[in-house]
Amino acid sequence: MGTESRERRIDHDEFDPIGTLALIGLYFVILVVMWVLMWQVEFLDGGPTVVG
Amino acid sequence: MATFIDRYPFEAKVVRYTFAVSFLFLALGAIGGMIQALHRTGYLRFIGDITDGSYYTVLTSHGVFLVIFFTVFFLVGIFTWAVTKELDRELGNPRLTKYWVTSMTVGAILTSVAIIGGFSDSVPMSADVLFTFYAPMGAHVLFYLGLTIFITGSWVAGYDWFKTWWDWKKENEGKRIPLMTFMVLTTMLMWYLGTIGVAVEVLFFLIPFSLGLVSEVNPLLTRTLFWFFGHMVVYFWLMPVYLLWYNVLPKLAGGRLFSDPLARVVFILFLLLSVPVGIHHQYVDPGIPEGFKFMMMTNTMFLLLPSLLTAFTVVASIEHGARQRGGTGYFGWLRTLPWGNPAFSGMALAGLMFAAGGFSGMINAGMNINYLVHNTFWVPGHFHLTVGTAVALTFMAGTYWLLPQITGKRLAAKKAAAVQPFLWFVGMTFMSNAMHRAGLFGMPRRTSEPQYEGFDYEPAFGTVAEIDAQVVGGGILLTLSTFLFLYVVVRTWMGTRVSADGGDEIIDDEIPPALSGPEDSPRVLDNLKLWTAIAILLVILAYALPIAHIASQGLYEGSEYFPMLLEVLTA
Amino acid sequence: MEIHKYEKAWLVGALVLIVFFISTVAYVTAVTGVDMVDESGGTIHPDDVSDDERFGDPRVEQVGENEFEVYMVALQFIFRPDPVEVPEGSEVTFYITSDNVVHGYQIVGTNVNTMVIPGQIAEITVEFDEAGEYGVLCNEYCGIGHADMEGKVIVHPEDEWEEMQGGDD
Ligand code: HEM
Ligand SMILES: [Cu+2]
Ligand SMILES: [Cu+2]
Repeated sequence: MGTESRERRIDHDEFDPIGTLALIGLYFVILVVMWVLMWQVEFLDGGPTVVG
Repeated sequence: MATFIDRYPFEAKVVRYTFAVSFLFLALGAIGGMIQALHRTGYLRFIGDITDGSYYTVLTSHGVFLVIFFTVFFLVGIFTWAVTKELDRELGNPRLTKYWVTSMTVGAILTSVAIIGGFSDSVPMSADVLFTFYAPMGAHVLFYLGLTIFITGSWVAGYDWFKTWWDWKKENEGKRIPLMTFMVLTTMLMWYLGTIGVAVEVLFFLIPFSLGLVSEVNPLLTRTLFWFFGHMVVYFWLMPVYLLWYNVLPKLAGGRLFSDPLARVVFILFLLLSVPVGIHHQYVDPGIPEGFKFMMMTNTMFLLLPSLLTAFTVVASIEHGARQRGGTGYFGWLRTLPWGNPAFSGMALAGLMFAAGGFSGMINAGMNINYLVHNTFWVPGHFHLTVGTAVALTFMAGTYWLLPQITGKRLAAKKAAAVQPFLWFVGMTFMSNAMHRAGLFGMPRRTSEPQYEGFDYEPAFGTVAEIDAQVVGGGILLTLSTFLFLYVVVRTWMGTRVSADGGDEIIDDEIPPALSGPEDSPRVLDNLKLWTAIAILLVILAYALPIAHIASQGLYEGSEYFPMLLEVLTA
Repeated sequence: MEIHKYEKAWLVGALVLIVFFISTVAYVTAVTGVDMVDESGGTIHPDDVSDDERFGDPRVEQVGENEFEVYMVALQFIFRPDPVEVPEGSEVTFYITSDNVVHGYQIVGTNVNTMVIPGQIAEITVEFDEAGEYGVLCNEYCGIGHADMEGKVIVHPEDEWEEMQGGDD
């Protein structure tokens, strides 16, 4: 399938996966923000905890 | 060029068979899932009330059928396909192949019979112990025997693939291990190492226990042995998925694999790290010193690395396809991808859900925050994204591409196939999101009726009713999607055969070479002996002390047998 | 080995993320005092539970001004003692064991959550700063009546607690 609709051929050296970097950078930011929220809001602010 | 079935009729038959068994278990599992969703939420309860164990019979079947039989039967099929196709040779010894196929089938039947016996009071057999079968709860001995026969079958299957590779190597001296074969072999090495835990647990403890040969076992020890195996197994489900994501998905997107060397590194990391982490399932177990938990936690976090690397390589490979198809911009290229092709859309959506499941998995791994989520509904929320979607949906998508190769028939019902992955995605978004949220306010998993007399849940936002509705609604969409998939499979199977020299009817089975091939990587990556030795060493370092600590409290001392039989419990 | 520069960047990013996650866990352990349940509760053979000085008579015991100890047994399908009643501001150490199958002990909507494993004694200390009623449930499948297995922790306001104590004499 896919390959039929190829418009041009791009080899390794001429290919910079900038879209991938953008997506994965976004994922990184989401992970960090959600991580902090989960720990702070859900866990540490979340009522009694085991302390010993 | 002739496709798989024409070149390797025997192997094609093996793959067809294991896929068929796998899909049968998928169907049964989906029905069970639907029953659970309806029952837990109170929408429809027809399998008996709270004084009846049927819910847990269903739950045991849902777990075992889906995460052991559906996944592993599919795995042996796809690994057989991968090794045969890539090495371009038949499996050397059909009798051996028939042996493991039979062994796995017999094992699966025995275990299933033991589980299903739980529905009937007149059958003196049950195994309502869930797929983790924690001692001292006991199942009928057939349950454990079946699992043993099933797993030994999978061991022989691994030997079959190794043997095929050894034969190939003799004729191809000095060549690198082809990538798919490399993945199959490293995965099986990981499997051999990790199944030791459950093999010891079942053979030395649970079978003698269920036969009354020993009167007690140490429940913490058997749990620990289970999880020695239990985390590795999640990667055993995932490795065939990675095989498809690395080798097939790029091509479906119209591109090529971005980096073969990194794919090898990723699989080696899984071999090294997937076992010495199992205690992360026991963060809140008494009896295990905190230091051991902390050490396994750090290993677990490092185990994120291969998956994070995979995310980059696979997305870059897809992007390569999109750029070649004329895609532009930072995100605009996503539009040019073949979303109408269910093989592509299924795998891509599965990958997206895996990214989300990755996040909840990171939370699970955070030792102390595990208090918040352990054994709550959050956990099934997490693994329905990982094994329940990343794995299940990728297998379905892979089937759309593979089925023509192993049946020689064109994919039928293309429209149904095209919507199926999206239906799954929407259904799972509802169900999994609701499960995660419910877990955060304390709703437990593995509970037939999680509505209590003495207290009400206090959701931070939304309501319990709205969450229940999402679980049921999502579950309905998922079940529909599963049967839509099965419909496409059956229709395809019943179709007419494309002739081997089929002119323009050629069945697509080409896998283009990687952009950066194996020649760009050091040969040491292919030294399987070395990596296995390091893996064993790491397991010893991580597990010797915890197991010694727990075993010193007694091997055959601890708890007496608690058969999960109706008579016993109500007596 | 040839690795694209973006991929190298991501490799670094991924490692940073991993170290950050590990540090979070370590920080919370070291600074906020959240402690993992571990081997400190010791072991007990399930057959000995009913004769044990602590677990033979499951109870709440005051051991210091604001300190309480709870000796609890998880049965199929109740917790004993139930409810657990303490005054607000108290520090309560639970010792929980089982003489049957594996159970879980979770105070709903909090971070108090431990497995209860036959042979082991789970020891967890919890500070109850606010008065109120907390639901408790068993979160590990333990047999047919598992969904029925619930309990309560009642944290009484100071004055109410004093009244209760007075009423006892
Ligand atoms: C039709 C789609 C599905 C539905 C509606 C569904 C529903 C559910 C529900 C509601 C539970 C929670 C039961 C409880 O804890 O009381 C559950 C558990 C589970 N599901 Fe699914 N599920 C589906 C598909 C899958 C798939 C495809 C997999 C894996 C390949 C899977 C694996 C599991 C496992 C391992 C459990 C945990 C069993 C246990 O706790 O012992 N499910 N499922
Ligand atoms: Cu795990
Ligand atoms: Cu229970």
